[in-house]
Amino acid sequence: MGELLQFTITGLSLGVIYTLIALAFVVVWKSSGVANLALGQLVLVCSWFTYGMLSQAGLPVWAGLPLVVIFALLLGWVIERVVLRPLIAQPILALITVTLGLGYFLQGLVGIVWPQSLVRLPRLFPEQPIHVGPAVVSQEYLWAAVISLLLFGLLTLYFRYNKMGVAMRATADDQKAVQACGIPVTRIFSQSWMFACVLAAVGGVLISSIGNVSNGLVQTGLQAFSVVILGGLDSFLGAILAGPIIGLAETIGSGYLAPLTWNGVREVIPFVIIIIVMFVKPYGLFGERRIERI
Amino acid sequence: MDLPAGTRNYTYAQDMAIFRTKTHWFLLLVLLVFLFTAPVWFGNYWLSVANLIGITIIAVTGLNLLTGYCGQLSIGQAGFMAVGAYTSAVLVGRFNLPFPVAILCAGVGAGLVGMLFGIPSLRVRGFYLAISTIAAQFIIVWVVSHWTNLTGGFSGMEVKPASIGGFVFRSQASEYFLILGITIAAVFVAKNIARTRTGRAFVAIRDNDLAAETLGINLFRYKLTAFFVGCFYAGIAGSLLAHTSRSVSADYFPFMDSVLFIGMIIIGGLGTTLGPILGAVFLRLLDVLVTKLSPWLQSAFPGLPPGFTSGIAPMLFGLVIVLFLVFEPRGMSHRWQLLKAAYRYWPFSY
Repeated sequence: MGELLQFTITGLSLGVIYTLIALAFVVVWKSSGVANLALGQLVLVCSWFTYGMLSQAGLPVWAGLPLVVIFALLLGWVIERVVLRPLIAQPILALITVTLGLGYFLQGLVGIVWPQSLVRLPRLFPEQPIHVGPAVVSQEYLWAAVISLLLFGLLTLYFRYNKMGVAMRATADDQKAVQACGIPVTRIFSQSWMFACVLAAVGGVLISSIGNVSNGLVQTGLQAFSVVILGGLDSFLGAILAGPIIGLAETIGSGYLAPLTWNGVREVIPFVIIIIVMFVKPYGLFGERRIERI
Repeated sequence: MDLPAGTRNYTYAQDMAIFRTKTHWFLLLVLLVFLFTAPVWFGNYWLSVANLIGITIIAVTGLNLLTGYCGQLSIGQAGFMAVGAYTSAVLVGRFNLPFPVAILCAGVGAGLVGMLFGIPSLRVRGFYLAISTIAAQFIIVWVVSHWTNLTGGFSGMEVKPASIGGFVFRSQASEYFLILGITIAAVFVAKNIARTRTGRAFVAIRDNDLAAETLGINLFRYKLTAFFVGCFYAGIAGSLLAHTSRSVSADYFPFMDSVLFIGMIIIGGLGTTLGPILGAVFLRLLDVLVTKLSPWLQSAFPGLPPGFTSGIAPMLFGLVIVLFLVFEPRGMSHRWQLLKAAYRYWPFSY
């Protein structure tokens, strides 16, 4: 029983981090219709930058983490301005592949600046594990969950009450109508990319404070796509619900399936879920099914 | 605009021909003579580069049929290559089948796996399909690296060299001829698939699959055909890779290679026969150039960061892909067409 509880808690926390990374995708997809496959690399770059600030430059946490956020904002702005702005209204194939190229570029950049293959971030959270009933959980998981939930709350408020947030939702609905209303669509695009990078950065820092910083983070970013697919591409609610489901499936699945299958089953569970969703309900739990006409 | 001034077609056969004029045939002959005598001019290193380029051309040509002609974005070509490589390696190594049978089985095996992962393409497209092929890549690589008693697991397995009849392809030069022959055949077949009813159906599906369906094109059949053919090519390429490098392991088929293949057809030009060849040659040669130059740069400029040598290649690849998409989305083959047209109209500009 303690085992199950433990899997549940870690799975839920892992899931909310996945949700954060997935939201980074959804924000961009909803406002500009760009499928960002460089998500994993964004997570990677931001995590390495955190390592650079905290460990290599030796900054204290209160100075380092705001710098990471500023870096992420800048990164998002530059990416949108330099790479995606020239491709507005290009076919979807070009928009997908350009993010692939971008991902390749970022991964090479990381390789140049941080040639180490694997490092640990300095401890951000207290080391003492917490006892929840019979389960023992390390504090990182709980902190990660709390921070993620806090961010969801902030995002929800932003999209509901802030003027820019409302404009973003409107852009997602109909770009031309929004432009006709005098809302600067390009600024919305660049803001959505900045948001996405910050979300990816926070997700990256949280997930690498649980594990470590390495190229495996790219795969983590790709695993977060299973959240997007399961929840439905254009649904915040879907991503928020699907994240914990994926997290649970990963921990409980790997906990109980490991004796039955080959070890390391954990890393493919999200991908298997993607394939299953594709076959059964391709637009996800809450995705909008578009009716197309010729 | 396709034909030089003064050249006309008088028969349908002439109109259908791939090589139309005497100059075409002469240039083709020169190219073939050059390709088939390459082992005389080049050393083993350059032959191994040429072999890799040939294998890449086969895989990318298949991907071009699937993505460039049929419009189904697949980011799992390296995974499908892995299916082919392991099929062929196991059939030759464990079951002692002859190589020609094994390579065909590799193609068919990869094609069938590709069809399986292509089934979602009937209901989804674009990004969804891209994700499901990415999932295919990771699932396939995970399976081959864990199915230890068949594939040797993480450490991989040794593969016998290719052999046809009694002849064993051991030397670099003999492998070169094997790969060259198969590459030429593969490109020729791909060119002809693109010109048949099937190829035109692919293009119709790419441009608008709903419209294509209303015109009477069976989407189920043609999309799965595209997946089968594209992955068949990947299987052949994988099998050649396994048999020429004498070993195979999951590391040979990283996710980033699948991305690179997509980059190659973008750089070369989507939906053209020449595109995959130009793209593969360009990116592989860029890779060679970088591996040759970067240690030298590293020693010449000690200020460069220590990871420069390993990181510069992916960075350049990404940069080239992005630059091509922004500045020349129709790729190098489009530039080549423009160049040919300019040459034909010279000295007039129109």
